[in-house]
Amino acid sequence: MVTLALIRDTFREALARKIFWGLFAISALMILFFLFLLRIDIVAGGVATVSRFGGSTSVPADRVVRGVYGGIATFLYTFGMFLAVFASSGLIPSVLEPGRIELLLSKPLSRTHILLGRYAGNVLVVFLNSLFLVLGVWIILGIKTGIWSPVFLVAIATTTFIFAVLLSVVVLIGVLFESAALSTMVSVALMIMSPILAQTNLMMRLLSSEWSRDLWRVLYYIFPKVWELGRITLDAIQSGTFSGFAPIWTSALFGVVMLGAALAIFARRDF
Amino acid sequence: MDSEYAIETHDLTKVYLSRWQRREVRAIDGVSLQVRRGAIFGLLGPNGAGKTTFVKTLLSAVRPTHGTALIFGRDAGNPEARRPIGYLPENHRFPTYFTGAGMLDFYAALSGVEAARRKKLIPEHLELVGLGQWADVRIGKYSKGMLQRLGLAQALIHSPSILILDEPTDGVDPVGRRQIREILSRAEARGVTIFVNSHLLAEVETFCREVAILHKGKVALSGKMQELTAGKGYRLTVPQPPEALADKLRGRASSFAVRDGLVDFQFASREIANGAVDLLRAERCEIEALVPTTSTLEEVFVRTVAK
Repeated sequence: MVTLALIRDTFREALARKIFWGLFAISALMILFFLFLLRIDIVAGGVATVSRFGGSTSVPADRVVRGVYGGIATFLYTFGMFLAVFASSGLIPSVLEPGRIELLLSKPLSRTHILLGRYAGNVLVVFLNSLFLVLGVWIILGIKTGIWSPVFLVAIATTTFIFAVLLSVVVLIGVLFESAALSTMVSVALMIMSPILAQTNLMMRLLSSEWSRDLWRVLYYIFPKVWELGRITLDAIQSGTFSGFAPIWTSALFGVVMLGAALAIFARRDF
Repeated sequence: MDSEYAIETHDLTKVYLSRWQRREVRAIDGVSLQVRRGAIFGLLGPNGAGKTTFVKTLLSAVRPTHGTALIFGRDAGNPEARRPIGYLPENHRFPTYFTGAGMLDFYAALSGVEAARRKKLIPEHLELVGLGQWADVRIGKYSKGMLQRLGLAQALIHSPSILILDEPTDGVDPVGRRQIREILSRAEARGVTIFVNSHLLAEVETFCREVAILHKGKVALSGKMQELTAGKGYRLTVPQPPEALADKLRGRASSFAVRDGLVDFQFASREIANGAVDLLRAERCEIEALVPTTSTLEEVFVRTVAK
């Protein structure tokens, strides 16, 4: 009951912040586009004629579908992730405001419970948005093309997972500095750094000293693998291949450490 | 736990260290207080005395540097110790996305009230504080006084055994204050311990039975309200006496004041007052009134913190 109340409160606050409505609105617009504006005519042999805004093209149907899937996954991983992080960054500082946090702390629940409840509520909001968009597009394209590729639904899991990892950073910065702006900056910096750090093979050739190469490797392994997970998701959707679990578990470990640090600091802080 | 005390602190100390200058600030320093079950207790003190820090250590919002704080015999740091507490913070910031009913629902749920009971209790408590018609209005539209009353409803809704109220009538109009006093009186009748932190001395004097005054982090004075403000002398009121007699009376009085043709002489003890009566009656002067006088809480407070 208490956990549910905390999650519902996070939901309420998220919905009170217009930016989350923006996120849902963009997803809804994309679904409406696929529903009404994109006409896909399947003919014998699976060739699709795709019509939009008056123009038309003939392409293999499964290519159309995979192309759309890839586009949606890319949107979720880039713009969608940025919006989600930006929208979420204020949800921790707001709960720590004087006059609000004392009342929460006066209730018979642990500080860990309070912070994890807020974290879980936030992850749930983003999960629901990803579910809405991915499932919506999957169903619409499935009905229009007859092609049902369940691997696309993996994008819901990977998007939610990487958001949860980035959110752990938002929570830690929020608990330490109570700054929504700083939380956003650090999380976005991690997103931007990820494809750069992923160029490990190239950097091993370019970096001249052993210590700089070691440093690069250490940074690569420590920080979350946003870019790799996006690549893994795209590869799975478009070619059905899966390239390994290492980015998942190293990113998960990073998230656990960040969240653990946030919980430890929050447990000891005076308000 | 079966402690006779709702609140007990032993040598409670909180030291803040300034990060860069390594300077110590002792917000509370060796505070030992006991508040009996069912008592109505007022905590007073000038700004910066440590009242808010003390309250926060009871709620575990602040971790003490040293000493213990117990709520009904349980360590205040234990979440279960806070189950019987209803708290109204000063300068509260209730999230404005709530409606009045939604806000009560949330905090009641956190206090462990089941959904079916909340459904019944929420409208009852909104009516109790005069906000029945505002249940579905977002609290962003509430006035300060309405928010204060809503906050009180939030503190009461889970039937707490102890109410900790920080400036409970702040921003409330006189009618609202009276309503709040009536609500708290009913809570007192049910055996609820009430712990009030307030600057409004007149309010505390009217309502609280026991008080403690914090000054510079320490308990400067504590005791029963009646004893602390007990009789301190006698006031003799007479029509303007002859000048020579007035001089003698002024010499024995601790103070005097003239008003509307009458003179009030303040004498420190019954003996001195009786001596003055003898002088007046010897000159066949009339006596308008002779009454024992008490100190107000404000006088006690100012005397205490001036030391």
